Amino acid sequence: MASSDPHPPFSIALVGNPNTGKSTVFTALVGGHQRVGNYPGVTVEQKIGRAMIDGRACLVVDLPGVYSLAPRSRDEMITVDLLLGRRAGATLVDAVLCVVDASNLERNLYLVSQLLELGLPTVVALNMVDVARGQGIQIDVEALRQRLPVPVVEIQANRRLGIDALRRALARLGPEGALGRGEIFPETFRRAVAELAPRLEGRGCCRRARCRGRVCSQWMAQRLLLDVGGYLEGHLAPGADNPLRGELADIRARLVAGGCPVPNVETQARYAWAKQILEGIVTMPGRREPTTSDRLDRVLTHRLWGTTILAVVMFLVFQAVFVWAVPAMELIEKGFSALGGAVSAGLAGTSLAGGAIESLLVDGVIGGTGSVFQFLPQILILFFFIALLEDCGYLARAAYLMDRLMARVGLSGTAFIPLLSSFACAVPAIMATRVIANERDRLTTILVAPLLTCSARLPIYALLIAAFIPPEARVAGVGVQGLTLVGLYLLGIVMAVLAAFVLKRTVLRGASAPFFMELPAYHWPTPRVVAFRVFERGWVFIRAAGTIILLVSIAIWAALYFPHNAEVVEAPFAPRRAALADALAAVAPGDPAQASLEQGMAELNAEIQSAYQRQSILGRMGRAIEPVVRPLGWDWRIGCAVLASFPAREAVVASLGVTFHLGPDVEDPLPLGERLRAATWEGADRPLFTLPVALSVLVFFALCIQCAATLAVIARETRGWRWPAFTLAYMTALAYLGALITYQVGTWWMG
Amino acid sequence: MVGFVPLGKLRRGQIAEIHRVHGQPEHVHRLEELGIRAGTRIEVFRPGNPCIVRTAGNKLCLRTGDLVDILVRPAAGDGAI
Repeated sequence: MASSDPHPPFSIALVGNPNTGKSTVFTALVGGHQRVGNYPGVTVEQKIGRAMIDGRACLVVDLPGVYSLAPRSRDEMITVDLLLGRRAGATLVDAVLCVVDASNLERNLYLVSQLLELGLPTVVALNMVDVARGQGIQIDVEALRQRLPVPVVEIQANRRLGIDALRRALARLGPEGALGRGEIFPETFRRAVAELAPRLEGRGCCRRARCRGRVCSQWMAQRLLLDVGGYLEGHLAPGADNPLRGELADIRARLVAGGCPVPNVETQARYAWAKQILEGIVTMPGRREPTTSDRLDRVLTHRLWGTTILAVVMFLVFQAVFVWAVPAMELIEKGFSALGGAVSAGLAGTSLAGGAIESLLVDGVIGGTGSVFQFLPQILILFFFIALLEDCGYLARAAYLMDRLMARVGLSGTAFIPLLSSFACAVPAIMATRVIANERDRLTTILVAPLLTCSARLPIYALLIAAFIPPEARVAGVGVQGLTLVGLYLLGIVMAVLAAFVLKRTVLRGASAPFFMELPAYHWPTPRVVAFRVFERGWVFIRAAGTIILLVSIAIWAALYFPHNAEVVEAPFAPRRAALADALAAVAPGDPAQASLEQGMAELNAEIQSAYQRQSILGRMGRAIEPVVRPLGWDWRIGCAVLASFPAREAVVASLGVTFHLGPDVEDPLPLGERLRAATWEGADRPLFTLPVALSVLVFFALCIQCAATLAVIARETRGWRWPAFTLAYMTALAYLGALITYQVGTWWMG
Repeated sequence: MVGFVPLGKLRRGQIAEIHRVHGQPEHVHRLEELGIRAGTRIEVFRPGNPCIVRTAGNKLCLRTGDLVDILVRPAAGDGAI
């Protein structure tokens, strides 16, 4: 794709309003040859597919669905930059394919009218003519073809009709842009643009030879004038006292006086053009009959019935996530431990056996990545349902239903979908916040999402609840074990709500943003679109979480392994080991004493393990922080296990296993649970894990961030380390306070 | 004589014409891009704030607030949107 390529493929940007079937068109054009990548140098995703169109190698770039090309965020600016060819290193777009929804032509032509100003060869794909007809809307496609200055192809993307004609139209495109549309803006406004444009020439202008800066500077001058408080203002005229801002204000004031107030002049001009194009072409039905979507919405958006159905749908989705994923998760876990075993077996007999390299490979790399991959089935299942619900149009209704609730804490319905994903994993949830238009709302959602119980918290919940809550304990006939689990989920939700409420009133204060969203007509989900979306999400998760957790696993392994000073650590145990070995050699095989001697040897080895841990870097840190965690009821070993789980909370079960003499392989939680129950304070007979201690650890894990991957994603999405640092600080403080209160109140309660 | 009322005051099934969208220019601009602008006829599908309205081409969910407001003129009869 580099521009130095002697025969770069013909690249086509796919643009359109949301819900016009753009993804279906993309999949129909490129089939399986697609991948998700980032724009060079930035982390905005772009979907690229390869296709041979009538013998010409083509690259199709699927851009996010938009109603307008007015850039309001950096992400939208990147889309615009791509279309203008302003981004160095990015694909230079040769042509535009715009998908329009026939049942809402006027609004779709608004975007077409903006695209025509880019000066690129363009094809319009008229989709869903059948849906429009079903609603009683008649469209004279032939007349539309005559009036629009670019080729128009009628398609039915979901049935793959008209795709060949679309390919032919794309293949016939010449190098020249669409012409003959003529000016649509009033003279006064055009003069203002012409006045401003020279000021912007050369400011990161495009790399197209025939543009020579004119198209870009004209285009940017127009947007700069129109988009009050838009992205370009901050980008081209940063700072409130920027001289360009003063000039802009002057020009805008003159435009108002001249009868062209911005931004109204744009919508007026574009809708007038659309109306003129559609005059006599589109016949609306005299009276709109309720459609199937309307009938479904009668129930699904009903305050009582709709909300009940939403609750049932969510319950079923989570049931599926937790129940269906279990066999796959077990399989993955077994696969990784088999891989670890195979590596150990392969190294046996070589000089690496038993050394640092083996330990790094088996415990660090394979164990670490295995712990991440284990969560993949849950994430894939959750995203399968989200993709399914999104594709059929239901998620927009869910957002409407939840908006009333979300508005109370200062968020909007759009935050609901990312927060829902957060119950599986915060990493994809934070990436999904891109749909939230308001920056403050988006940031609030990012900051509270990690409080919701992700699936990585389940192993520690399962371990401690099984170990310390008696299975027979019941309150009003309901098992206390189950209630504790529900309580921990609720704790996460309540804290997320409170945190959002507080953040929106303090750090991220601002007037509540309005909320607008289109409710698309319901339709059957397209299997290919759903499949690709799930695949895409899974891949993003593996890439984002996998790399970071791999690095972190290696770091934790090193902190637990080094300095590994064998002489110093093993010396005090040498006499006992020698005595045991002698005794073992002396007993006859089959002697009853043999078993107890072997048991003694195993215990000694465990003690040596623990001694290594005590003097490892992590062990020293654990002892250093003991005074801090003492008020939570913890000793240095718990502190150590919690410290080790800061980069990745799922590591805690394994590190508890190491700490409490079990070796790093914890196959079944029960033996570890028994070990924990038997653990005592060092040098005392007092049990270490009482119920308040176990609860305090649980509360800590429910509220703490403990996930380097999440922090890294927050850094990526907020472009800096300020917000991840804030998240780490506030969640750790919250977790510490929560654990402190739990332990102190628990101890007092139990006398 | 029918006056102008905020969108949120309409009843279910009521048809109205948008008189004015006012507030911060950026939000007004976005609403207009979505097709919610002076002269658009809407039918209330779910009243309140947020509400769901039907326009000629689609269905939209809208919540106005401090930053933007929509004034409508209710239609006398129940003609088409």
